Amino acid sequence: MLQAFVSEGIKPFIDGVVTFGAGHFYISQSDKGGLVFGGDIDGYNSYAQRGNLPVIEDVCEGGMALMPRIGRVRLLRHWGGIMDMSMDGSPIIDHTPVQGLYLNAGWCYGGFKATPASGLCFAHLLARDEPHPVATAYRLDRFARGAVIDEKGMGAQPNLH
Amino acid sequence: MRLTCPFCGSRGVEEFTYRGDATVRRPAAEAGDAAWVDYVYLRDNPAGLHQELWYHGVGCRSWLVVTRDTRTHLVSDVRAARAVAQAEHQAEHKEGAA
Ligand SMILES: Cc1cc2nc3c(=O)[nH]c(=O)nc-3n(C[C@H](O)[C@H](O)[C@H](O)COP(=O)(O)OP(=O)(O)OC[C@H]3O[C@@H](n4cnc5c(N)ncnc54)[C@H](O)[C@@H]3O)c2cc1C
Ligand SMILES: [Zn+2]
Repeated sequence: MLQAFVSEGIKPFIDGVVTFGAGHFYISQSDKGGLVFGGDIDGYNSYAQRGNLPVIEDVCEGGMALMPRIGRVRLLRHWGGIMDMSMDGSPIIDHTPVQGLYLNAGWCYGGFKATPASGLCFAHLLARDEPHPVATAYRLDRFARGAVIDEKGMGAQPNLH
Repeated sequence: MRLTCPFCGSRGVEEFTYRGDATVRRPAAEAGDAAWVDYVYLRDNPAGLHQELWYHGVGCRSWLVVTRDTRTHLVSDVRAARAVAQAEHQAEHKEGAA
């Protein structure tokens, strides 16, 4: 589960997306003036479509560490959605054992920004029945073959990716 | 979300660390690749009751087996992982003797 947050509208303040890696927090501003921000996942299996308070506190702490001046802005709304966390934190773009059935999944929390590239690679796979050169590593059998893409060296622990 | 630790009582979830499915069991060393891949990488992820391991790091440092509904976050059971393992071991032992 990942939660996202929107504040009340304020005057133009952030012109772009700011990501704070050390504390895990990211923030941008919508055209209507609301600050849109988020941080860590809740980290346990869930279909409840809502998160829990400790992560909200953690995200707000990350925000305060990065930009103390947003501290008095009020939160307008927040929501939570399911994250399809894979075992190595990378997606799968591949055939399946069923002929004619293809898989493009496991995007964790990066599936929006990856859409143009993921769509291109997936279309290539569907049209030619062979992986796009950029996506050859995203195989379904990479776990069994010991070829996991494990950027952070976290092991098979989805909530740490 | 709160978990009722059998030793510490009801505590906020921020005191615990999650470790996932509590029902997977390490296969024998010679069990073969398929069993090991299954053990390391494949999980059922049910929408409903889920038995899972939580570690009470900010409390008594016990590993716990929690039964939780993944659709509602409702917790129906919390046991010490040690007690669960001992019960399992005894059950196996009895089966072996019979
Ligand atoms: C709060 C939040 C914030 C996020 N922020 C970002 C961000 O800032 N940047 C970013 O890059 N990514 C972000 N993501 C992640 C991004 O949303 C996902 O990675 C992306 O949407 C995944 O796309 P998908 O098409 O693989 O899966 P989904 O968008 O989940 O699509 C799966 C579809 O399958 C349907 N479905 C499921 N089961 C069945 C069934 N049995 N039959 C038929 N249909 C079914 C579902 O209804 C759904 O429409 C965020 C996610 C959340 C929850
Ligand atoms: Zn305890």
